Amino acid sequence: MPLFRTAFGAALLVACLDDAAMATTQNVIFNGTVTATCTLVVATNGTMTASPDLQSLSSHNSGGSAGTATLTTTGGVSLSVDPVTLTTVPAADSTATTWTPTYSASGTHTIAETGASTALTVPGADLVSVHLAGTKGGSNRFATGNYQATVTLRCE
Amino acid sequence: MKHALNLAMAAAIGLMPIAAGAQSMSPMRGEVNSFTDAFAVRVFPANPYDQKIRVEIHVYDQDFQPVDAKISPSVFQLGSQASRPVLVVVPFGGADGRKVRICTESIPFPNQQTQIKAQICGKFFGHRKS
Repeated sequence: MPLFRTAFGAALLVACLDDAAMATTQNVIFNGTVTATCTLVVATNGTMTASPDLQSLSSHNSGGSAGTATLTTTGGVSLSVDPVTLTTVPAADSTATTWTPTYSASGTHTIAETGASTALTVPGADLVSVHLAGTKGGSNRFATGNYQATVTLRCE
Repeated sequence: MKHALNLAMAAAIGLMPIAAGAQSMSPMRGEVNSFTDAFAVRVFPANPYDQKIRVEIHVYDQDFQPVDAKISPSVFQLGSQASRPVLVVVPFGGADGRKVRICTESIPFPNQQTQIKAQICGKFFGHRKS
């Protein structure tokens, strides 16, 4: 009798482990939403040098360099630069300077050098080069001393 | 039902730091309905640099003129790869709706000849409901 009970129990256990029970699956749903985003990481600031005639102080001049930033976006944003408002000039410079900020980009988006706003419609990453040029007209010249300017690079 | 609600809350709380930490500012778009004289937006500026930076939050209108909004906090230091919430309360100023830009600004490398100020702006639209 005990042998019968053991055999019956084992048979019942095997019956419980049928294929249908082993194959039961349940889906786990994952949802995610990515909204329009933009990340700007400034890598280097720029350097301006004076032209031989001292009427241009620019990152385009020989020895000058552009500032750089990396941009990562989902798309659906725009990139632009603001007119320069924050400048520091030496006391010896009392004449007006016209500051012109521009930028270009390479990577997912190719943007030729411009000062206008550019729509970035597709997602990707870019290296943005920021230039600044200061010019003087007439007989005015840049003076000896330290110049500093801030360019605002905007992603919105 | 209660269990499902708890699961949803746990998932939402778990996702928030990931979404905030991976961006310079999130969200960048939003519409808010308000039954009061102002509407509130909570944004999450993030610091993608490997160094601490000073962050300023500014609110502008569509013409980039400053808006008299309450920003808490408006200026703060943000650690490397960190993010924090900022509450912005914008008055309607008697209008039925108002479009504003909320901008995160920082100069990561100051005291250089040509500095770059990185500015990330989100566009938000507040609707006043009566």
